[in-house]
Order: sequence, then structure tokens, then C-alpha cells
Amino acid sequence: MTVVLGIETSCDETGVGIVVDGELRANAIASSVELHARYGGVVPEVASRAHVEAMLPTIRRACLDAGLALTDLDAVAVTEGPGLAGALLVGVAAAKALAAGLGVPLFGVHHLAAHVAVDTLEHGPLPEGTIGLLVSGGHSSLVDVRDVAAPVVLGETLDDAAGEAFDKVARLLGLGFPGGPIVDRVARDGSADAIAFPRGMAGDGTYDFSFSGLKTAVARWIAAQADVPVADVAASFQEAVADVLTQKAVAACVDRGADTLVIGGGVAANSRLRALAAERCETAGVRLRVPRPGLCTDNGAMVAALGHLLVARGAAPSPPDVGARSTFPLPH
Amino acid sequence: MRVATATDMRALGMALAGVLVPGDLVLLTGPLGAGKTALAQGIGAGLGVAERLTSPTFVLAREHVGRVPVVHVDAYRLGGLAELDDLDLDTPAASAVTLVEWGGGLAETLADGHLLVEIARSDVPADDVRTVRLTGVGPAWDDRRDGLAALDW
Repeated sequence: MTVVLGIETSCDETGVGIVVDGELRANAIASSVELHARYGGVVPEVASRAHVEAMLPTIRRACLDAGLALTDLDAVAVTEGPGLAGALLVGVAAAKALAAGLGVPLFGVHHLAAHVAVDTLEHGPLPEGTIGLLVSGGHSSLVDVRDVAAPVVLGETLDDAAGEAFDKVARLLGLGFPGGPIVDRVARDGSADAIAFPRGMAGDGTYDFSFSGLKTAVARWIAAQADVPVADVAASFQEAVADVLTQKAVAACVDRGADTLVIGGGVAANSRLRALAAERCETAGVRLRVPRPGLCTDNGAMVAALGHLLVARGAAPSPPDVGARSTFPLPH
Repeated sequence: MRVATATDMRALGMALAGVLVPGDLVLLTGPLGAGKTALAQGIGAGLGVAERLTSPTFVLAREHVGRVPVVHVDAYRLGGLAELDDLDLDTPAASAVTLVEWGGGLAETLADGHLLVEIARSDVPADDVRTVRLTGVGPAWDDRRDGLAALDW
């Protein structure tokens, strides 16, 4: 029996997950999102302090849920980066202390790789040809995960992240924070083709994204209206984001002969993105895998899942001086 | 000055980089989608930063290594520039060029000089041309105002 505990603190969720022999046994999460809502976004200092307060109770909660003691652990995994420096530091320090105290190996992992690896808990091993689309408030990346422990970036956003565009458009429409779930809900009463917002960088032959121009177009369109049809703006904006993301993700699968697409990150919860991805993947003969919402947003289970894959393949643990890496670039 | 496209905004940023020195503070103001990040990208490229500057909104501040280090800040959610200290940035302000988006309104709290960059969009929705105004404030800019006026981009 191999027991791996994973710690994730790259943003505002304190996540601790436990995976036993490839099976999810606990996924405890404490979120400081309510503390951040009044600022309209995540505040790094607030996040760091919240992580410090939540870390030990969340570890205890995870052990309780899994019915295991800390002494049952065989390895500890932790998100090294990328993320908010102070927030990452709390998780890395806790993981090091646990690993050193228990005398078990420590594995520092990449946040985006963990977002893909988590799907093995729900849908089994990843086939060799797998592309990951990772979309959240801080990331918009297409990665080739032939080896999930060493992803290669195919493309990423050149300006704003997809989730950030949702936040900013929600701000323009006076809808509150975080923008993703609110825009999704409001969009249900609107028409996706009411307004033809631009599809930034669509069909340009790259796998990069740009959402800044779309944000500008929405701002300008709103400024020109006497009476703003909020639901139509939300639906048309959401359509533009989902259109470009799915177009490029499916193109990446086809171009690189990958038969599986995994979508992860908070924006993976968006209903229109999921529906359009399902439609286009089916047409292209690509299998779409999206973990359940609780595993798409930041959590500790994804770190434990990747840690478990590393232990299973006999990977070398991280050196004891492994540190938080707020910018943690992947090879292109 | 009038700036027609995002590409032109980057070109203006690259030219502007030529008059900036370590320790400078640049405040970028303008509505959502005005082109603040595009201008910052040009300044970053002009200062020798290899990677493209992307939006600092989510992390509040990003640090870049260049010929001159660049600190790129989104102040929308900061209560004041003093809160920049709370972010524990590794780059000392005196050795870097600090670019602050949404920095309007923070200027009066500053003792030292700064460069104010105001980007305005046209009132006509179909008009994409931006108007950019550069104002060097404080003694640090006394002998550089001619350079600002003579920017060629």
C-alpha cells in the first residue's frame, strides 16, 4: 500500500489530499475566497495568512477523512509553483516539515501538471497522446502531457488569463467577484450570438491565446449603449472565450495526433466551455476528459495524484532545499 | 500624441524605455482596455526583458529581469503604493523601473517624482485611436522633458 499526501497552496485554497494506491481517499479544502471577495480579487497577504491558519486543521481533516494517521504516509507531495510566492511558501514549509519529521520522501510538483494528473483519479491512466487545456484566473495554457511529470507548453496567454477576462467583464457588468460562475449563470438568459465579439488570435496557426482585446471590445461595446443587455453581453463574451479555447485545444490534439483532451482549472467548470468542447471533440474523434468540478479548481488531491504517479514510477524525490517558485516556467 | 493600434502602443513603449533610468516610477492610467498592458509590454521589451510582459492583475505584481529590472504592478486592488512593500518583492525599487497600472490617484501620495502616462480612448465607439499624454513630475524629470517631447516611434 502506497499512501501519498499532497499539499496545494498556490493561490487562495489550502488543499490537502490523500491518495492510496492511485485511489482518492481525502480531499480537504479550506478557502479564503470570501475574505478576498470584498477586494474584488485574491490579495496575496490575506492568502498567505489564511494558509498559515488553515494548514494544520486541513491536514488533520484529510487524515480523518481518509481514516489514516500521519505515520501511515509513504511520501509527501507539494506544489512548488507557479503561484503567489508567500502562499506557496506556507505549503512548501509544511510539506518539508512533514516529510522530514516522518522520514519520508518529498516531491515538489508543477501546479499545471497536477491539474492534468488529477484526472487519473477519476478516469484512469492517461493515454500517451494527451493534451491538457488549463484555464483559470491565473493561467491559460495548452500543454502536451505525453509525460505528465514533464509537460511541454504548446501555447499560453500573451496578456490576460481566461478566468481574469471573466473577472474583468463581470466587473464591467457590475456582477461581482469571482466572475466565472456569475457570468455563466447570467449568460443562460442571454443569446450567445447577440453580439459578435472578436476571437483574439483565432486561426493564426499558433496555440497562444489573447483575451485583452476581447475585454477591450466588451468595454467599448458597453460604453456605447444607453441600456446594457447584461445577459446578452455575458453570453456573447462567454461564447467568444469558449470558441477560441476549444478551437485551439482540438487543433492541438489533431495536429499532434493526441486522442485525449483533459481540461482543468477553475474555468473548466464553465458550462458553455464544457458543452462546446464536447461537441468539437466528438467531431474530431478526440476523447474529452474533464474532472468533476471539485477536482478542477485548486485542491490537494491533484498534488497527491501526481505525487503518487512519481512514487509509482520510482522517480527521484526533490532535494531537501526545494523551494517555492512563484514563476515556474515549463519547457516550450 | 495619437496612437492608432496596439502595435503602435508597443512601439511607443519601446521608445519610452529609452528615456527611463533605474529608480523611475511610471504610472499608467486609462480605462479597462485602454492599452496599459500593451504599453508596458513595449517598455519591457525596450528595457531588455526577454519574455513578454503579461497581465499582473492576478498576482498583483510581476518582476522581470532585463538590462534594467522591471517591476510590473496592478494597483487596482492596492490601497496605496505603500502596500507594494507588503508584497515582499525581491527587486529593490531603486534599481528597477516600476510600472504601475491603475496608478492614478496614488500620485499625490508620492514624495518623489514620477512619469504619468494618461491613455484616453475616443468618445466615438468606432474610433480605435488612443490619445496618450506624458507628464514628467518632479525634479527627476526636469532635464528629461525635452526627451519626452522628442520621442520618435
